[in-house]
Amino acid sequence: MNINPVLLKEAKVRMRGWRAAGIVALYLVILALVTIFVAYDSYNNIYSSTIDPGRSVGTYSALAVIQFILILFIAPALTAGAISGEREKQTLDLLLCTKLPTRSIILGKLVASISQIILLIIASLPVFSVIFMFGGISIAEIAQLFMFYIITAIAAGSIGIFYSSHMKKTTASTVLTYGTGAFMILGTLFIAWIYMGIFRDNNYKEIFPLLYANPLVGFVSLISEQFGGQGSLAGFLPGIGRTYTGTTKGMSPWIINLIFDGALTVLLITLSARKINPVKRKISIFKKKKI
Amino acid sequence: MLKIKDLVKTYGKFVAVNNLNLEIPQGEIYGFVGPNGAGKTTTMKIISGLLTATSGEVMVDNVDVTRNSRKIKESIGYMPDFFGVYDDLKVTEYLDFYASIYKIKEKERKKITDDLLELVDLSNKRESYVDSLSRGMKQRLCLARSLIHNPKLLILDEPASGLDPRARVEMKEILRNLKDMGKTILISSHILSELAELCTHIGIIDNGKMVISGSVSEIMQQVYSSRVIKLKVNDKLEQAEMVLKEFPNIDKITLGENTIQAGFEGSDQDMSRILATLVTRGIPVVTFSQLDGNLEDVFMKVTRGGEVQ
Ligand SMILES: Nc1ncnc2c1ncn2[C@@H]1O[C@H](COP(=O)(O)OP(=O)(O)OP(=O)(O)O)[C@@H](O)[C@H]1O
Ligand SMILES: [Mg+2]
Repeated sequence: MNINPVLLKEAKVRMRGWRAAGIVALYLVILALVTIFVAYDSYNNIYSSTIDPGRSVGTYSALAVIQFILILFIAPALTAGAISGEREKQTLDLLLCTKLPTRSIILGKLVASISQIILLIIASLPVFSVIFMFGGISIAEIAQLFMFYIITAIAAGSIGIFYSSHMKKTTASTVLTYGTGAFMILGTLFIAWIYMGIFRDNNYKEIFPLLYANPLVGFVSLISEQFGGQGSLAGFLPGIGRTYTGTTKGMSPWIINLIFDGALTVLLITLSARKINPVKRKISIFKKKKI
Repeated sequence: MLKIKDLVKTYGKFVAVNNLNLEIPQGEIYGFVGPNGAGKTTTMKIISGLLTATSGEVMVDNVDVTRNSRKIKESIGYMPDFFGVYDDLKVTEYLDFYASIYKIKEKERKKITDDLLELVDLSNKRESYVDSLSRGMKQRLCLARSLIHNPKLLILDEPASGLDPRARVEMKEILRNLKDMGKTILISSHILSELAELCTHIGIIDNGKMVISGSVSEIMQQVYSSRVIKLKVNDKLEQAEMVLKEFPNIDKITLGENTIQAGFEGSDQDMSRILATLVTRGIPVVTFSQLDGNLEDVFMKVTRGGEVQ
């Protein structure tokens, strides 16, 4: 089997020294602190010494939210400099003049970054296992959540790669990547909010289509579904809360969101690989017919 | 091996390479000389598949580089004029990385890496981090990198720039070794004399156009067709000057204390005729010699001509 040489090299360099271990440690400290804080807080509020599954549900969602936010911040940071960094270091030409296809360069970079995210997610398992002891959450649900994390991270990473291959400077790429992320999360919500305010009354039971692209909407829908559609998180997102009052049928928003992420990833990777290829072929619909 | 036909590259309205023609037979070393901005790097990037030509044809081993660029890249080793190295990689790991790109088997990699490090004289640095190497060492490492897949054609963009005199000599030595190994090499430089002793062919490019090209001896002939002669006499300086002025192919006579320098265009026979005339006229000639034809003079003359146009 041939492992992608870029991936292999990136893995070697990224895991070297204390940096990788440092990032994992810092990440775990943040997660653990939040967990302790939330768990302690819910103990105090409930004034009860018995173990209550409802309490672990609260801790679980808090932990899930924090991890989600951390991933959304870390994934683009790992990829936004992937190609532009090579350009700035003047090493990109040395890669492009080899026989390595540009697609392999892009995929190698993306997979290396995603592996780092997966490492963080796996490292967070012990923290999640604490909730596990309290009960109320199943392994299947945690697996579902982690899968959602990973696919979201891949999509976020692809956005970073996309800008990184189109921009000369890493700073420009980083700004655009986070800008796009902000638009996908906050911008789409804002548009949905305005749309509903103007055109719809309170009986509107569907999700504004643009929101399927919103990872936060997907995340909230996943968590609410895990709690049987009564999650309190859903209330503040326009359109979502109503969906989960049990009236809407069909595919869950988080599944549609993941499908969207997958399609977006394929598109962005293709465009990035094309962008950095110095000898572009003209796209022609008629080319295949000729042969 | 390499054949360039009517190559044109434009950036917007600016023509960087203008109808360039060039051919390098197998096993030859072609020196590509020109001033800053002449279009050397642009041409070399097109050959290496890092830029697309606006028009024209580049053939490597009779295959068009744009047709089958991945296949072609296997037979080309390219060393850019400016390049960086990864930090966090050791010399052996660096070469190993590029070897893995060409799917060289793990068993063979060690031997290839060892041989290449030997060739570029970096064997004692194999465990150093690449970004800790000096500039000259990085340059040699980059050369080794471009050789990792044993390419037939080497495209070297100013491999000696920024090197100290000793390192230049060493670089030249390495290139000579490569020539003996049967590689075909295209090498660029600003300095004509640096390439003259190494190359079999030379092309001078200016403003994207090939001004002169040919074998080194042909270029030398052009150099020597306008040579400078130096004459030392014991006495009769003025008479000697009068004699020289009779020859139509002598100009720019300058007088020293008892020497005369003059520009001369013509063959060796013409030159011996001048000496014979001087002697028969009774001029006490002490020495009669030709100043070393200066390649840089030709370079300046040829390239400045292009600028005026
Ligand atoms: N990306 C670009 N956009 C616009 N013009 C360019 C670009 N790259 C090169 N040029 C122009 O093309 C011309 C040829 O450049 P090139 O780098 O090939 O010269 P060169 O012979 O390698 O010079 P040097 O000896 O300085 O390395 C220059 O005038 C340069 O300004
Ligand atoms: Mg150059």
